[in-house]
Amino acid sequence: MKNTYLQISQMITGALVAVLLAIHITVQQWFVVLGLLGIKVADPTTWGSMMERAHQGSWVGIYIALLAFGLFHALNGFRNILLEINLSALAIRILTGFIIAFGVIFLILGTYAPIALFSSYR
Amino acid sequence: MADKGPHQNYLGMWGWVWGGNYKLERYLYLLHRITGLGLLLFGLFHLTVTTIFRVQGEAIWSSTISFLDNPLFRVGEFLVVAAFSYHALNGLRLIIQELGFALGKPVPPIYPFTDAIRRKRAWTLVTLAAIMVLAVAFFIDFTVRGWG
Repeated sequence: MKNTYLQISQMITGALVAVLLAIHITVQQWFVVLGLLGIKVADPTTWGSMMERAHQGSWVGIYIALLAFGLFHALNGFRNILLEINLSALAIRILTGFIIAFGVIFLILGTYAPIALFSSYR
Repeated sequence: MADKGPHQNYLGMWGWVWGGNYKLERYLYLLHRITGLGLLLFGLFHLTVTTIFRVQGEAIWSSTISFLDNPLFRVGEFLVVAAFSYHALNGLRLIIQELGFALGKPVPPIYPFTDAIRRKRAWTLVTLAAIMVLAVAFFIDFTVRGWG
């Protein structure tokens, strides 16, 4: 039953990550294509452009949601692959614990920057 | 008494390299996993760079962006967006088919057997075409902006 919930969560987070990452990549990469569509975008990698987004709650929300869903989807997918090695039940428990700890560390690391930059503005 | 437990995965990861009767879809699934692992590695690198260098101020951020603006990283960036396009659209196809859509109606098992996915291979080909269109669009975008 636990694996069923994980598989359903994998599908739901996959769809959410696809949408959020498509927004992120479109803004970061598609200068020319957006320009052809009449949408002018400043270089998003400059400090000014990056700080402008960092001070908008909607972008902070998108980044944190992308981080949380992305970490779950990626690390659960990685676990699914590793489970194909035919591990023992104990090894699966240890692996799962390690992956959860790894995910929590990167979630804290990743949410620190957007929250710190957003807080510094207010 | 017969063993009623689940079947063991005897091939393990080695089963990845042989598509068997599933052919195209099995190799797409393999590529799905490879692109997924690549995106995971890039994601951790991207997360670390954007967190550590972003909070240190404008000078560090600008020098980091200047350092990353070279042909090697630009090609890597293109591979990342191409891998994302593939992983996202193929993943969408996998979700739709896992939920039972786009599989075709059940048919009696008469030789030569065809599975439900292959009876609707047109969906797979449409997905591949959409991935190619996206990859070409990104390639044009990268080429117009320059490769470093």
